[in-house]
Amino acid sequence: MVDTTKNTKLFTSYGVTTSKAINPDMAAKMISKAKRPLLVVGSGVLKPELLDRAVKIAQKANLPIAATGHSHVGFLDKDVDAKYINVHQLGFYLTDPNWPGLDGKGNYDMVIVLEFKKYYINQVLSGTRNFSNLKAISIGRDYIQNATMSFGNISREDHYVALDELIDNL
Amino acid sequence: MSKLTTGSFSIEDLKDVQITINTIVGAAKEAAKAEDIGPMGPSPFPGLATYRDDWNLKLLDRYEPVITPMCDQCCYCTYGPCDLSNNKRGACGIDMAGHNGREFFLRVITGTACHAAHGRHLLDHLIETFGEDIPLDLGQSDVLTPNITITTGQSPKTLGEIKPAMEFAEEQLTQLLATVHAGQESAEIDYDSKALFSGSLDHVGMEISDIVQIAALDFPKADPEAPLIEMGIGTIDKEKPFLCVIGHNVAGVTYMMDYMEENELTDKVELGGLCCTAIDLTRYKEADRRPPYTKVVGSMSKELKIIRSGMPDVIVVDEQCVRGDIVPEAQKLNIPVIASNAKIMYGLPNRDNQDVDATIEELKSGAIPGCVILNYEKLGEISVRLAQEMHPIREAAGVREVASDEQMKEWVDKCADCGACYLACPIELDIPEAMKFAKEGNYSYLEDLHDACIGCRRCEQVCKKEIPILSVIEKASQKIIAEEKGWMRAGRGQVSDAEIRSEGLNLVMGTTPGIIAIIGCPNYSDCAKGVYYIAEEFLKRNYIVVGTGCGSMDMGMYKDENGETLYERFPGGFVSGGLVNIGSCVSNAHITGAAQKVAGIFGGRTMEGNLAEISDYILNRVGACGLAWGAFSQKASSIGTGCNIYGIPAVLGAHSSKYRRALIAKDYDESKWKVYDARNGEEMAIPPAPEFLLTTAETWQEATPMMAKACIRPSDNNLGRSIKLTHWMELHDKYIGGLPDDWWKFVRGEADIPLAKRAALMKILEEKHGWEIDWKRKKIISGPTIKFDVSAQPTNLKRLCKEA
Ligand code: SF4
Ligand code: SF4
Ligand code: SF4
Repeated sequence: MVDTTKNTKLFTSYGVTTSKAINPDMAAKMISKAKRPLLVVGSGVLKPELLDRAVKIAQKANLPIAATGHSHVGFLDKDVDAKYINVHQLGFYLTDPNWPGLDGKGNYDMVIVLEFKKYYINQVLSGTRNFSNLKAISIGRDYIQNATMSFGNISREDHYVALDELIDNL
Repeated sequence: MSKLTTGSFSIEDLKDVQITINTIVGAAKEAAKAEDIGPMGPSPFPGLATYRDDWNLKLLDRYEPVITPMCDQCCYCTYGPCDLSNNKRGACGIDMAGHNGREFFLRVITGTACHAAHGRHLLDHLIETFGEDIPLDLGQSDVLTPNITITTGQSPKTLGEIKPAMEFAEEQLTQLLATVHAGQESAEIDYDSKALFSGSLDHVGMEISDIVQIAALDFPKADPEAPLIEMGIGTIDKEKPFLCVIGHNVAGVTYMMDYMEENELTDKVELGGLCCTAIDLTRYKEADRRPPYTKVVGSMSKELKIIRSGMPDVIVVDEQCVRGDIVPEAQKLNIPVIASNAKIMYGLPNRDNQDVDATIEELKSGAIPGCVILNYEKLGEISVRLAQEMHPIREAAGVREVASDEQMKEWVDKCADCGACYLACPIELDIPEAMKFAKEGNYSYLEDLHDACIGCRRCEQVCKKEIPILSVIEKASQKIIAEEKGWMRAGRGQVSDAEIRSEGLNLVMGTTPGIIAIIGCPNYSDCAKGVYYIAEEFLKRNYIVVGTGCGSMDMGMYKDENGETLYERFPGGFVSGGLVNIGSCVSNAHITGAAQKVAGIFGGRTMEGNLAEISDYILNRVGACGLAWGAFSQKASSIGTGCNIYGIPAVLGAHSSKYRRALIAKDYDESKWKVYDARNGEEMAIPPAPEFLLTTAETWQEATPMMAKACIRPSDNNLGRSIKLTHWMELHDKYIGGLPDDWWKFVRGEADIPLAKRAALMKILEEKHGWEIDWKRKKIISGPTIKFDVSAQPTNLKRLCKEA
């Protein structure tokens, strides 16, 4: 078991609210409870160790993937439902109740975000946090303040272990 | 009472009294409003509200503001701080969206003010030096001042005639700044409209800055063969004294060059710079192509890196994009700093009134770390002589060298792997990991950080072991730094009328697939080389790639397998497949200027006081997309916003999400993708492109197909559309993988479909989208939601339509 809640240090803060630090089992529980969850991955996911785990998460929890940046190339030969969309555009569409979603079936109630530069995903999520009721769970190696819940700051090695635990718990 | 006019006159009864009136406040505006000055659009000398209803709100209806706050709080006034999270309202009544609209707007007017102040400084200085009557000789063009003309209705022909436009920009900036005051504007959308207006003024300020220096300082004049300039830290000859200039304003630097030329020092002293001053010093007196001798060290991210190299013997700063820690950093290595512009004085003593020799002695002795010198004659002499004197002194003191191998090992061994630097680094570089490998003797991980590192020193300030991390990275990268040698074409100035005439039709029809403008600063989220990859990709595909500022530099820093830079491989003209270095940041006005001239010269639209119609033409017919891949400054936000009001979209790097406001359209909302056909006022459906006016991308691989797609316009003819679709779909396949989901939305008939894959794509249209195909005639029978009509006149402005 890795404790992913210990280190929630920030360099600078966005202000009054901050995300709740959670462990992998809790993250798994939240994902399982969501009605229309979406796995949102950045280009960092193209590292083989992470790509495999992202695929497993999507398959096990039956999550569609918003493949942002140029991450989509990684999923071409994988048995997952991955679609390309720009993450800034996605952040905006997630705040619109009328967005038909990536599959035409409507907007989402939760995003699970993985492998972004923290300044970028924090910025995208500051939009959804202030202007919608979307829940955001960050399962990257950095503590993401503007998510609803997030892993804390952990080492690369611990991150792989945490993701494996998450997969086991799904 | 009759109105006063300019000129000289005497007053009866008062002998020997003659009064001369040079300018009358508001007189130019009055003259412009008179009816006998030729064609004039509806909006000369606009105010805060002028463009709002007619144009800005139409743009903002499709391109909606996307707010991503940087902070939950507002602390503008003493009611606060207020918690605005979840779009709450503060004590004054403004909500989170409104406050962030204000924050973005504040960035835009700050950038606008920077360029306007730069323009004012140059205009006054050059008029004082050369007189008001210097003609605006900018190359072979009739349309010399598109931004000024569209905004004010005026077409100045001399330095002096620019004054009314300058005054107008200054006046409007005051009006704009006033709206920020607590209790004034609170609607987000109106901050956006005002920001767009400010953006248009920014391009006026930039245009003034660049045309006065081109005209008075003999810069290349719309010259596609402007000379190639040496670039990179590796081009500086270490054996010579090195005078290093940093900033944006060339006024003072010309005096250094004059001094060096008068005293035959051009081969004895290295004069080089960072940021736009460097670009503009390579343009000085280049109109007649004398052999260039000054050098461009690189972009802003190299400021601390060049200081840490120990090479500069004197640093002169002017204005804009200059780091705040130049003096303390330079002081550690005995480099005197001279502040040459009143905008940055660093708390240094002013030595304008002191004898030149005394000032040199004082700086040489180290009694003061630097000084202010605003007198350019003195600046020219002191800076060059001081560099010569400091060189041997600094050489002897051993401060011109980077750290020794032993020192490096000592630093690296101290690392406690605490991770503080990783948390602090704005680029999120994994310094602790690189340190770990360095301890084992493997410095390659540190070397890998060099290109992405912006030289900001945030890491060093949090390191409890006091490791000079930036110096460690630079030491590990000595080999690649020595090879940092590139070429850049000197900034050529405007795109000429003739070039517009020959490319105008291709651009409007789409057969030249678009203009890609690579501009802005080096705050890259991936790597500096990204701009090189993007530029190369578009050049190979026959787009016109134009560049300015740090973007122009970084495009020239990398070489292909034959050792050639992009500037050596591609022609410098505004032609399909040309790589056009327009110039420094202020030359960005010529990029909007080129698009405006397509509307004015090729499209025959009135330019005078006619912003909405010109912008409408560009949005619907001129495929162009900007890339500010490392946008960091307020100026970058105003430049981009100026492009936006003129209908030119821009992709920014991931850091730019911190500007807090993007403009993105809903590609799924069909009601947003309709324009009028000006022939009869009927609505016509258009494809969803460009999908944004201002947005960010995560990686250069993502940005590339985004930009290709953003060049698609309703006016494309079949060949143009098929060319644009070919490039977008190929780039999407290459970098994102597979076919884009929405490619079919852009197809109006079989002739639009990329030729090489036409049959296969038609099969997809039939099977996946239910389109009816006549396979014998290879024709689409039904399916497309948009129609192609070669003579349609797409417009967003109902007022331009003839009623059916
Ligand atoms: S300007 Fe308004 S929101 Fe900001 S601190 Fe003052 S009262 Fe609060
Ligand atoms: S100097 Fe370089 S490594 Fe250090 S924090 Fe800045 S960008 Fe990161
Ligand atoms: S802050 Fe200093 S000690 Fe800590 S990991 Fe970075 S370099 Fe090492």
